[in-house]
Amino acid sequence: MMLEDELTVSTRDREGVAIVDLVGDVTTFAEEKINSAYREVTNKGTRFVLLNFRQNDYINSAGIAILIGIVTEVNRNGQKLAVSGLSQHFQKIFRMVGLAQYAEIYQNEDEAISGFKRNTLRVS
Amino acid sequence: MTYPTNPITSMELILPNELGYELIARDAVAAFAWRLGVPIDRIDDLKTALCEACINAIEHGNSLKPDLHVEILCRVEDECLVIEVCDEGVRPFAPKAEPLSIVEKLAGMGSLRGMGLMLISQLCDESGFVSRDDVGNCFRLAFQRHRAASLGCSSNPGSHVSV
Repeated sequence: MMLEDELTVSTRDREGVAIVDLVGDVTTFAEEKINSAYREVTNKGTRFVLLNFRQNDYINSAGIAILIGIVTEVNRNGQKLAVSGLSQHFQKIFRMVGLAQYAEIYQNEDEAISGFKRNTLRVS
Repeated sequence: MTYPTNPITSMELILPNELGYELIARDAVAAFAWRLGVPIDRIDDLKTALCEACINAIEHGNSLKPDLHVEILCRVEDECLVIEVCDEGVRPFAPKAEPLSIVEKLAGMGSLRGMGLMLISQLCDESGFVSRDDVGNCFRLAFQRHRAASLGCSSNPGSHVSV
């Protein structure tokens, strides 16, 4: 029996940013889906990755470990990572575990896209 | 909804030892905490901390064995809501000296997992393992019921290992 809100992961492109939509609970059972989505967008050559969460979904320490694994890959591949859609509580959790040092936190997708654009301009 | 002026101040839950059931405990204990006056932002902290304690009990204490159970005891002590998460102790808890930071994890110095206890310690007013007469590990979480309360949460008699 599955008690969790099983995670649905999908990918799309918006203005050169690969958006990975995560709808559902991010726990140990999410590993293959998240890693697979990340591999898919990376294989397309994307430099900018946005993990777009749905407010109020459940993220536990096993899910956080999966995201730390994504940070490892993002660093290795020279990409930029950001997250959006997190509740205030999980924004706090991301700061507590240090993920916020490696992934900019935005309130929503629109802010994240603007943030990526600003950073790109600053770099170029 | 109006709650009675002298609410029930204790509750017990027995969970199957299966990942996912921590969510049922989370929702039940969150509703109980709300009835007891725990502020809403602290309830979010409680939910995350309780889930992590349950996951530790299911995965580590009870080694994912499906025939075992996790017991959750909630009670009011002074100005605090105290929650004890007890497993059947297939594996005794062996605390690591210091959990790895994210920098160390990214450097490949150890497992990416293992942030649960750190999260719990930051989210609770008090937390730690307590001794019990039965076999098994018992982890205690405490939350002040009212933001204005100036006193900490008093520990149970017996040993109490903070994390």
